[in-house]
Amino acid sequence: MIEPHPKILSVGTANPPDRYTQEDILKLFRVSNPTVRSMFSASHIEGRHLVIPEPDENGVPHENQEALLRKHRKWSLRLAQEAIEKALAPQGMTTADIDYLCCITSTGFMLPGLTAMFIKHLGFRVDCHRTDVVGMGCNAGLNGLNPTANWCAANPGRNALMVCCEVNSALYVYDDEITTGVVNSLFGDGCAAVLLRSEPPEEDLTPRIIDFYSHIIPDEWGAMRYDWTTSHGKFSFYLDRDVPYVLGIHAETPVNGLLERNGLKRRDIDHWIIHSGGKKVIDAIKYNIGISEYDVRHTVNVLRHFGNLGSGSFLFSYKRLMEEGTVRRGDRGVMMTMGPGSTIETALLHW
Amino acid sequence: MNQTIQYEENGHIARITLVRSRINMEMVRELTAVCDHLEDNSKCKVVVLQGADGRFCEGIDFAEFKPDQPMDIHGFNKWEKISARIERLPKAIIAVLDGPAKGGGAQLALVADAVVATPNATIQFDEVHLGFLPGMATFRLAKIVGLGHAKRLIMQSPVVTATEAQQLGIVSSVSADVETALAETIDAFGPIHNVAVTLARRLLNESFSTEFENAIGNFLAAQHRAIHQTPFLETIKKHQDE
Repeated sequence: MIEPHPKILSVGTANPPDRYTQEDILKLFRVSNPTVRSMFSASHIEGRHLVIPEPDENGVPHENQEALLRKHRKWSLRLAQEAIEKALAPQGMTTADIDYLCCITSTGFMLPGLTAMFIKHLGFRVDCHRTDVVGMGCNAGLNGLNPTANWCAANPGRNALMVCCEVNSALYVYDDEITTGVVNSLFGDGCAAVLLRSEPPEEDLTPRIIDFYSHIIPDEWGAMRYDWTTSHGKFSFYLDRDVPYVLGIHAETPVNGLLERNGLKRRDIDHWIIHSGGKKVIDAIKYNIGISEYDVRHTVNVLRHFGNLGSGSFLFSYKRLMEEGTVRRGDRGVMMTMGPGSTIETALLHW
Repeated sequence: MNQTIQYEENGHIARITLVRSRINMEMVRELTAVCDHLEDNSKCKVVVLQGADGRFCEGIDFAEFKPDQPMDIHGFNKWEKISARIERLPKAIIAVLDGPAKGGGAQLALVADAVVATPNATIQFDEVHLGFLPGMATFRLAKIVGLGHAKRLIMQSPVVTATEAQQLGIVSSVSADVETALAETIDAFGPIHNVAVTLARRLLNESFSTEFENAIGNFLAAQHRAIHQTPFLETIKKHQDE
């Protein structure tokens, strides 16, 4: 008897090789605005993996929109290859074993999408089912996990892979302004691949995905968005300063909805796997849903070591939780991602 | 049916009476069930924690330990979990001390938001003299009385009188008429807005172990939550109407 709720079998992650401290970035881009400089130092980020070219003739790295899109394409493929290999190898699997592929990105637009590129270059079968989730932002990992889990439930025993691929350095716009400073001080590059399958119950420490609960705040539609900036000839990401508070005040709604629908209380949740949106976002979530600094330890750590990795961040935290060895059979966890929309997505796990 | 504690609700006041003089795992289970009720169903705003028969609580029950069995740390963990849960209840927590509060009983007094005592109440952390540790009183006590007094109370294990405990800041009021003192203390807590009380307590409890740079972010997150709740919205509405 196959249990329809799919299992998370493994997660693999990858980051580009070059890591920069906040001070490195300030120096490299010759940032002088004191407000922007203090944003970098107050970010609670020690370092981030980024893909940044050599300085040009003006002494500062510069890429036009075309170069940024090229960078997104090139590094998506490199990072995905490594993350997918790390997710599949421990299971003794290759990309040829994957029946459904879902790719998530918000850091570059391409057509055909990532799934088509990965099938061409990474050895997936040509009859692999595909979904590309594009432009949904930091919350998109759970927006993609939902259909991936549903596909698994409908196709027991078959393998689904979701890949969150964010080359955030491909959306950086550098000037001395506060708007770009917020973005440039926060995001890092990284990719996470997660393998799902519905299979018979087994005595192991892989969690099942039980349920999802979504929440969108239409009044905050414009709080996080891409704008075309003609002066730069690039897209630039705008992040309203009230975002952490808005997300915080609404966080209870989906969490309560998810737990009530499953007959659970907050105290029944042993593990919180929360998107590393930024220090203020994490604080807002902590005090609004009443969870402790310990509950967000992996979220804070991922932020400190990688910055905000966009859609794949929560999978980096999940991986750390699993490697920590504190999870026990019977435990329950809530995954929570937040982003543009403004959106809060949640999922319930049961080990 | 509870065997180690008694629980009753009267209006907005819940009373937990420690019927059993010593803490055992059954008491931990019964306190857990009471906390479930207080979190899920109870409209009470105040939780009174009291003893019976002329004592508050005399500490852990050593009868549950067997010298020929492996020592088990998990029971201590369960005790800390229930203590922390009582400490974080979305209510005002008031301990009423009469007679000895010893060991785990003294620890329990420290999780309350206020402690009311009769003149013959005493507090003693006797664990170190018995060869073990006074639970997370090692974490809480110094914040209340300062490190010097905490070292003395925990390492020299004196029997602290109600008056001295009041001078140290553990006890908030001492009175032979403890019910009147309790009623006055409850009054002093005012309307008890659950969210404001819970957040203020959490920030205070975190104050000694959080750096200012982190604490300011925590405060702003908590304040944002508080000012979006009905009590504050009513406060500003009332102010406008006047």
